[in-house]
Amino acid sequence: MKIPSVTPVKFNQRMANSLEKFSEQGGEKIANYINAAGKFAIAPLMILYNPFTNESKENKKWAAVKQPVEAVVTIAAQIMSLNLLYKGIDKLAEKGKLNFKLVQDAIKGGEIPKPILDAVSGDRTKAIKNLQKTCLDIFKDRAGTVLTIALFVPVLAISNRVFPIIADLLTKDNDD
Amino acid sequence: MIKPITQSKILNNHLKRVISDDAFAAKTIVVCSVLKDVFAYSVRYKTTMENKKIPEKRRPFVAAMDLASGIVTAIAQIAVGFSIANPKLQNALWNKMFKNAQFKHIGAAKKSFATILALIGSGVITERVLVPLMATPFAAFMERKFFKHIPPDTPHFSNYPFEQNSVFKKFKQTKTSVPQA
Repeated sequence: MKIPSVTPVKFNQRMANSLEKFSEQGGEKIANYINAAGKFAIAPLMILYNPFTNESKENKKWAAVKQPVEAVVTIAAQIMSLNLLYKGIDKLAEKGKLNFKLVQDAIKGGEIPKPILDAVSGDRTKAIKNLQKTCLDIFKDRAGTVLTIALFVPVLAISNRVFPIIADLLTKDNDD
Repeated sequence: MIKPITQSKILNNHLKRVISDDAFAAKTIVVCSVLKDVFAYSVRYKTTMENKKIPEKRRPFVAAMDLASGIVTAIAQIAVGFSIANPKLQNALWNKMFKNAQFKHIGAAKKSFATILALIGSGVITERVLVPLMATPFAAFMERKFFKHIPPDTPHFSNYPFEQNSVFKKFKQTKTSVPQA
């Protein structure tokens, strides 16, 4: 009997498609998603089932519950405010207020980074358009990082309020 | 205000390098992510020790955990993230996984592949698996060493390091033994 072979090409293609879709989100958002997912799913397990510590079970439960609560509050606040920031940056760019020197030099006939030029097989007009978009995306990422850092103060304050309530519900602290 | 930034040499060189060098782009995101963590852990530590809603006897360990995680995470994440972003490793993995796949923008996809892998390596496996393994015993050690259990009504001394009047600071100042509660 012939065993039907698994077609790795199809699987690869699906992975490739998801990768392309995910990459459209931009580095800062991707970083935040990955961080939140890890914190939500893995961090609490690691605190609870760490074999190298003798900390009391209740203590560990408290520290563990903090992680998913913080992950949810953080990612919600981050994505909402990053969307607002990115919209603001796009508006500024539409008004022509974000002129990167790299793009201006390219318009004047200067050098265009090779990967951009290669992607459009040497078409300078297209390349300049892509360069402007890429520069804007990188600028958004960096501005996003600054915003994310600033956001930690209110976000952690909120999650510190919320998590003891949830931890209390879950752990039924009897040994007080 | 924005013009000096968009015209600045630093930003434009940075843009150029991120566009041309995938490893540099991935490393930048890893550094940004670590910066966020360091900042977050410092704030977290401060808010935890001031958080009266966490029972007094639970607080030292939760706070020690925040502090220990912050220190261990920064060092480990940079080491792992930078190693994964290495172009040789990236090319080998890319060829193995996407040899026959079709891409609309292969350059962009390669860049995010490097970034995502570096982030999963540093932000998930290192930060969430390796760091807690190391940080939990480190936190327990710090709790024993610096977060003394002193009755809350004892005047002038707090239970946490880096706080004014903390036992730890007092201990350092006087270089004598920790005052008895």
